[in-house]
Amino acid sequence: MQLKRPVSQLHLGLMAASCALLSSTARAQTADANQPPQIDQPLQIDADLLYYKENAGRVQTIEPIVSLKKDFGDQRVLDGTFTLDSLSGATPNGAIPAHQPQTFASPSSSSLTPKPGAKTTLYTIAPGDLPQDPHFKERRVAGDLDWSQPLGLDNTLSYGGHLSTEHDFDSVAAHAGLSHDFNEKNTTLSAGVSEEYDRIHAHGGNPVPGSDYALYEKEPNQTKTVAGGLIGVTQVLSRNWLTELNYTYDRSQGYLTDPYRILSVVDATGLVASYRYENRPDTRARQSLYWVNKVALGSTVLDLSYRRGKDSWDVGSDTVDARLRIDLGHRVYLEPHARWYRQSAADFYSLYLSETGPAPVFMSADPRLAAFSATTFGAKLGMTAGRNGEFSLRLEQYQQRPTEQSSSLTALQGLNLNPNLKATIVQLSYHLEY
Amino acid sequence: MLLSLLLLASRSALAANGGQLLDLAALKGQVVYVDFWASWCAPCRESFPWMNRMQDELGRDGLVIIAVNVDHDHSDAEHFLREHPARFRVVFDPDGVLPGQFGVRGMPTSFLIDRDGRVQSRHAGFRLTDRDPLTQQIRVLLHAH
Amino acid sequence: MRIRTVNCIAILLGVLVIGGCSTLGVKPWQREILARPQMALNAEPIDAAIDDHIYFSKEAASGGRSFGGGGCGCN
Repeated sequence: MQLKRPVSQLHLGLMAASCALLSSTARAQTADANQPPQIDQPLQIDADLLYYKENAGRVQTIEPIVSLKKDFGDQRVLDGTFTLDSLSGATPNGAIPAHQPQTFASPSSSSLTPKPGAKTTLYTIAPGDLPQDPHFKERRVAGDLDWSQPLGLDNTLSYGGHLSTEHDFDSVAAHAGLSHDFNEKNTTLSAGVSEEYDRIHAHGGNPVPGSDYALYEKEPNQTKTVAGGLIGVTQVLSRNWLTELNYTYDRSQGYLTDPYRILSVVDATGLVASYRYENRPDTRARQSLYWVNKVALGSTVLDLSYRRGKDSWDVGSDTVDARLRIDLGHRVYLEPHARWYRQSAADFYSLYLSETGPAPVFMSADPRLAAFSATTFGAKLGMTAGRNGEFSLRLEQYQQRPTEQSSSLTALQGLNLNPNLKATIVQLSYHLEY
Repeated sequence: MLLSLLLLASRSALAANGGQLLDLAALKGQVVYVDFWASWCAPCRESFPWMNRMQDELGRDGLVIIAVNVDHDHSDAEHFLREHPARFRVVFDPDGVLPGQFGVRGMPTSFLIDRDGRVQSRHAGFRLTDRDPLTQQIRVLLHAH
Repeated sequence: MRIRTVNCIAILLGVLVIGGCSTLGVKPWQREILARPQMALNAEPIDAAIDDHIYFSKEAASGGRSFGGGGCGCN
């Protein structure tokens, strides 16, 4: 029982009198005595299928997701999600294209050169092509469980956990958050913490960061942790405008290197002399400021957000995301979506290393750490199916354009060292409530 | 004070669109449970079955339940009532005159008024665990005289 | 630089909170539009999770919306 305050008798007496002044008859609603009393405790089921495919034979993934959400009454909600992720295709290994054929070993190989008793899977890249490991295959199983409940009249407590496992990566994470409503629930302050623990055990062992690829030195399993926090304000601005501002901070510590990525080491003319495993700092602090608006324009709802990100590796990023949900009649809606993204490169990122200069301590040619801009365009079409169901189809195209794609070195002329990435996203969803 | 009450009264009489608002004076001698609700309010859905039961069980002892709907769009309220039929009185106040006067600070909020027309308690929110204490309070007021 | 960013955020949050307390907002019975499911900040949680996962594996920045659900060894 909440907030049962004794109210001033005098005040209420006046109030009752004022109500009595509005002398009128109450309107009775027709009763349906046959209807059993029902309490809404809906179960929501979501079944989704994601298909993601990159151009040029790169990664392709098929990902079924099942999510169950049970309302136990009084806004106490349990939410569980199960995800299966099957990836296949080719993934760039970090080396640059060359005018000569290049031969690499798949990471699961126990030796770079065929030896008795050793397993070696080699792949050769044609001149001009981006070096990619064609034997890439991965399966990820992930589960999420979240609980949310009110605490008193003005607070909401939520906590949850996440588990995921792959052949070469396991992750356990937990989070807890508390939000407090005030100003007649027009303002909500939120705060939360999260902690993640990961174990990295790459196919064929984790390479020694920064070591010569030809030595093929591997280490035992590695770990990393990520601890984070969030504070946010949600504010009702008007009957049809809701805004939220979040600040997040997280700090990763441990093995942050990608065990499968190498860099080309070139001589003064640009000819590949050797390869090196990448090496990243073992800490990374990230901050982000996220501002989102929900605005109803008649029956259409605009979702517009901006995110500014910054990290201790000197990656700065800006993201603008806009969705417009347009009702086309009672049963059908269309939701166009556009997203713009840009980031600056990590301070230790380079397309390749030079044999001549001093070797850097930290280095990576991971395209994710390069400077680039990206856009996503697409739309979702949804329609109600039956009394409590909804079907939807989302189609989107993602394109990444790296800022730096060529080099002035003679042996690298005419090569696209970091080609554009194009991906198609197809999502099929079914949502049911009962 | 009186002037402002009159102003409020005339404004709401206009807004009431044919006079559907609340006449507490006419209910003197009964225990009145005034509940402010809206179709979009999730806990309100949970309160309806309980209010139906209370009206059925305690109506003959002198309990009157009046549910004041504050939906801006009347058809939303109608839709809700088709899904969750009410066996108690429903008053429609689309302009929010009554919740303003009662000082409602969240949805739902209910007020329990004794047989002498005095508001005895205010209850904010509605949870399933609130049903027993609320029932108890109503019974105490019904048997107070 | 970092301290300046944090200060800016603190000021912004402060302005929103103080502004929120005084004049912004609606009455409790004026929330029918805000209560529509499409107006929820996480109206499409699965779409959001999918997007977070895709962009986490392709871009250096991630999260911000709320908590990330835990990482992956994405390639």
